[in-house]
Amino acid sequence: MDEFKGGGVHKKLLEIDLTLSKSRLRKLNKSLLQDYIGGRALATRIFFDAVNPSCDPLSPENIIVIASSPLIGTSAPTATRGHMVFKSPLTGFIGSSNCGGTWARYMKSAGYDAVLIKGKAKKPVTLHISPESVRFESAEKIWGYDVHKTTDILKKNSKKNHILCIGPAGENLVKFSSVMNDKNRAYGRGGPGAVFGSKNLKAICVSGNEKTSIEKKEIFKAGKEQAEYIMKASPITKRLLKELGTSGLFKLINVMEMLPHNNFQDNIHSDHKIDEISGERIKKNLLRRAGACFGCPIACQRHTSVNGQSGEGPEYETLVMLGPQCEVYDLKSITKANYSCNELGLDTISMGGTTACVMELFEKGLISTQDTNGIKFSFGRAEMLEQVTQLVAYRKGIGDQISEGSYRFAELFNHPSLSMSVKKLEIPAYDPRASFTQALGYMTSPTGACHLRGGYAVSLAFFGGTKEIPRFSQLQSPIAIRNMQNLGIIQDSLGVCRFTGFAFSTEPWSRMLSGVTGYEYSSAEFEKMANRVAALERVFNLRAGLKYSDDSLPQRFSSQSITVQGKKTVLSNKFQTQMREDYYKARRWSVPEGIPSKKTLETIGLEGI
Amino acid sequence: MTSDQWKADKKLIHLFQTIGRILLDKDLEDSHSGNISTLWEDDQGNEKIVITAAGSQKGDLDPSQICFLSPSETDFGYYKASSETDIHAKILSLPGVRAVIHAHTKELTIMTFDEEEKPNKPSPFIPIDVLGFYHLNGSIPVDWVEVPVGSPEMAKIIPKRLAHHKTTVLQGHGIFAKGSTLKETLFNVCIANNSGYIARLANKLNIDIQKLRKEITKSPSKYFPYPLKKYTQEREKTREIQGEKEISEEFKKTAARIFESNLSPFFTGSMSIRGVDRMLYAPKASIPREIRGPIEEIPLSLEKKEPDREMTIHQQIYKNTDFQTVIHCYIPESEAVSYFIPPGQKKPINRVVPIDAEGSFFYLVIPILPPSFKWEALIRLLHDYKIVIIRGGGVWSVGEQSLSEALHHPSSLRDICLYIIGAYERGLNLSKMQPEKARQW
Repeated sequence: MDEFKGGGVHKKLLEIDLTLSKSRLRKLNKSLLQDYIGGRALATRIFFDAVNPSCDPLSPENIIVIASSPLIGTSAPTATRGHMVFKSPLTGFIGSSNCGGTWARYMKSAGYDAVLIKGKAKKPVTLHISPESVRFESAEKIWGYDVHKTTDILKKNSKKNHILCIGPAGENLVKFSSVMNDKNRAYGRGGPGAVFGSKNLKAICVSGNEKTSIEKKEIFKAGKEQAEYIMKASPITKRLLKELGTSGLFKLINVMEMLPHNNFQDNIHSDHKIDEISGERIKKNLLRRAGACFGCPIACQRHTSVNGQSGEGPEYETLVMLGPQCEVYDLKSITKANYSCNELGLDTISMGGTTACVMELFEKGLISTQDTNGIKFSFGRAEMLEQVTQLVAYRKGIGDQISEGSYRFAELFNHPSLSMSVKKLEIPAYDPRASFTQALGYMTSPTGACHLRGGYAVSLAFFGGTKEIPRFSQLQSPIAIRNMQNLGIIQDSLGVCRFTGFAFSTEPWSRMLSGVTGYEYSSAEFEKMANRVAALERVFNLRAGLKYSDDSLPQRFSSQSITVQGKKTVLSNKFQTQMREDYYKARRWSVPEGIPSKKTLETIGLEGI
Repeated sequence: MTSDQWKADKKLIHLFQTIGRILLDKDLEDSHSGNISTLWEDDQGNEKIVITAAGSQKGDLDPSQICFLSPSETDFGYYKASSETDIHAKILSLPGVRAVIHAHTKELTIMTFDEEEKPNKPSPFIPIDVLGFYHLNGSIPVDWVEVPVGSPEMAKIIPKRLAHHKTTVLQGHGIFAKGSTLKETLFNVCIANNSGYIARLANKLNIDIQKLRKEITKSPSKYFPYPLKKYTQEREKTREIQGEKEISEEFKKTAARIFESNLSPFFTGSMSIRGVDRMLYAPKASIPREIRGPIEEIPLSLEKKEPDREMTIHQQIYKNTDFQTVIHCYIPESEAVSYFIPPGQKKPINRVVPIDAEGSFFYLVIPILPPSFKWEALIRLLHDYKIVIIRGGGVWSVGEQSLSEALHHPSSLRDICLYIIGAYERGLNLSKMQPEKARQW
């Protein structure tokens, strides 16, 4: 068990040059696979080595890497998640997005551990990848189609096809457009859809039956059984997510006084309104059935219907960002806007965050109907949500400006401070003033304000179980968020779901991975890998122009307090600086710049980058 | 003694009440047994003996049941004070001694019985655990006396023993312990009884205690990772953490849980939470709610001239891992189990395999390292198991985020070991009870 035998991987990277309409196979060496495992870690390293950090994200120079992991294709629970890395057109920094569904599993069945895409096709194109061939097929006929229609058409051509595609939003280079698979599962944040669109890449169809080998079946089995055993007992993985989906969080986050309202102006909601759109209400009024990603026992998907229209969602983030953030407590309107985002290929968090920003500008008289083509962007206008998604996806009228994201929109009207974003990525649905750890996660996330790449700190504050930590500890927050970010990197690199973290940490995964690969992984290797990936992402961002001042929250959070646990809380600039510098120290990066030193890089095996 | 003398020092009265309650709760006394005394200086600088009253219930001491006596002349307080006051007074006159506790330390009493014809001179009790061995100087004298309650014979022999030892056992009765403070004396009582308990558990597991004692006495460094630092009053001080109220509460809660759940004897073990470049370090992990302990702020990079091994391990763990919390404690059950040799085998086990439902739910295996463990091994095992038993060196556990997380591991381990000991005692075949998947773990 002391050598990486290469179980669980094909050792193959498929490199596609859209400009030349050519593909080539590159062998992935054992040490790379051993050190970077798969998913986010592998994709980040391949991306880092291949891309010019200063490239225009919407130019042919930008590169997309999608990776699977050794566990994908096995029966490891939830191991079906692919990871996509690219330079984000929204932030100008690294884009790093993770997605469930089935596509990554079938990419691996097509015989590849990772796919790298570069260049730009002359005309819209669909890629067909199978073990036998890579085909470039014209997508001119389906260009303009929404995600569902595109998927149906490509699926109709061959039932074996598994489809990853963009909708009109990606085609129109909306900066927060997503890439979708299984129609409703999104590589959502940071605008990967626009990167696809900029390359004239409409879809990637994968098919194949290549098996994933397992070197030590008994060891894999022991890890898997233990993981499933614990997941069956944990209340979050066995019950809450299945019964209520992620929207089951809604009331709880409100009780914690973390639920944002009206573009983070406060955290005050009436109980009656909360009841109207809660996870419990979704279950009662909209839910048709729960669904699951491939091989996932948690089954958090919400298959719903509204007025005869069916779709997926809303999940927690969507519910809040298209809901209370816009003063909307109308479940049907939120759900229909969610369906529309999925079909058009829009990130619901940024869509909601940007809409809320426009509404605040409008209500404060900083923009008027003259700027918005006559649309009254008042808080609470539920009926407007779906319409706005259409305007944005097709860049029609005011939608053209909104499609640039909240920061650029607010900047256009001289009030960038009203964009609730970090690194221009809209802040998700947890108020940072209600948790120092979450605040620091948003600040330091390599992709901008993302609760997943930045560290899912809320899970420590409420569902942490034995891991629960104080929400307002200056001492613990920097280490706590670093550890949560690292756990996220590990999960993203294994291709497994965040929610498994509610049941267990990394131990069962190290057993499963050891069994699959034949190399004895310890959580110690995971830890080192996570620190390596965090440093790579940081170095990329620094080379792309990141400054430490970018690791800050919008002014609102340092000047306007909210009340939490009976106390007014605010995150002063001085406090943010202290927290940020402590975080850099925890990462062994320089202060105040946040640069990984030569020594730090050497200790994690990144010398010479 | 004046009638309202007890009002003079409320803190002292509270400490007496607390220690009385602890002795009862930890089953170190019956309802009325034992006695507690200390030297105390009044406002005028007169030294007094403060001692519990005869027949008082130590678990519910009323201030009026705490007597203040002159150490040099008889006053009316003597008639209310403990029947063993004379013995206490003599012990308190020994150099450096300022507190005495007599307790019915049942585990130690059981393990110091013998079947010899009386009168005789029983063998001393040799602890097989690191705490007892180092803190009690390697042995506890045991004596038989004809009248083992308040007798002149006792007053003669016990101070004589305590002139050279921290504790002494009166066969079939209990312990007398001395200390420079009441807390230190309680510490010695708890350590001694803990040693008795571990020996009794080892007995249940058919461990050859006599052989082990001989070998430990001959070469303690082979059986224990490092000598323990002496108890110091310095570390009795209470200190709060400025600006981190919630963390202060976490420390207090965790310390109380370790003590109340019998995860480590009074004032033993250690725990810490790390920040970016410092750790908050509690050099005592097992503390009752009513008694506060110190929390020190230690730079992670601090290197002392005379390194504190315990503290250094905390620093090393933080230096080499991303863990945020560390707890070290001495679980008596795991101390005993770590010496267990399964039937048909020659060496002690190197891992504990839980046989109970919750134990195997959380841990298929808990590793045991030898006393001469290497850093790298400890660090790697902590990564993979979050808890590691050091044979003869307690239990180390870590948390990615919280103290609560690090606490859960030793707490589960104690249950796991109790079930193993119990099942073995019943004659059950442990290997048949272990989960199949544990074999591949």
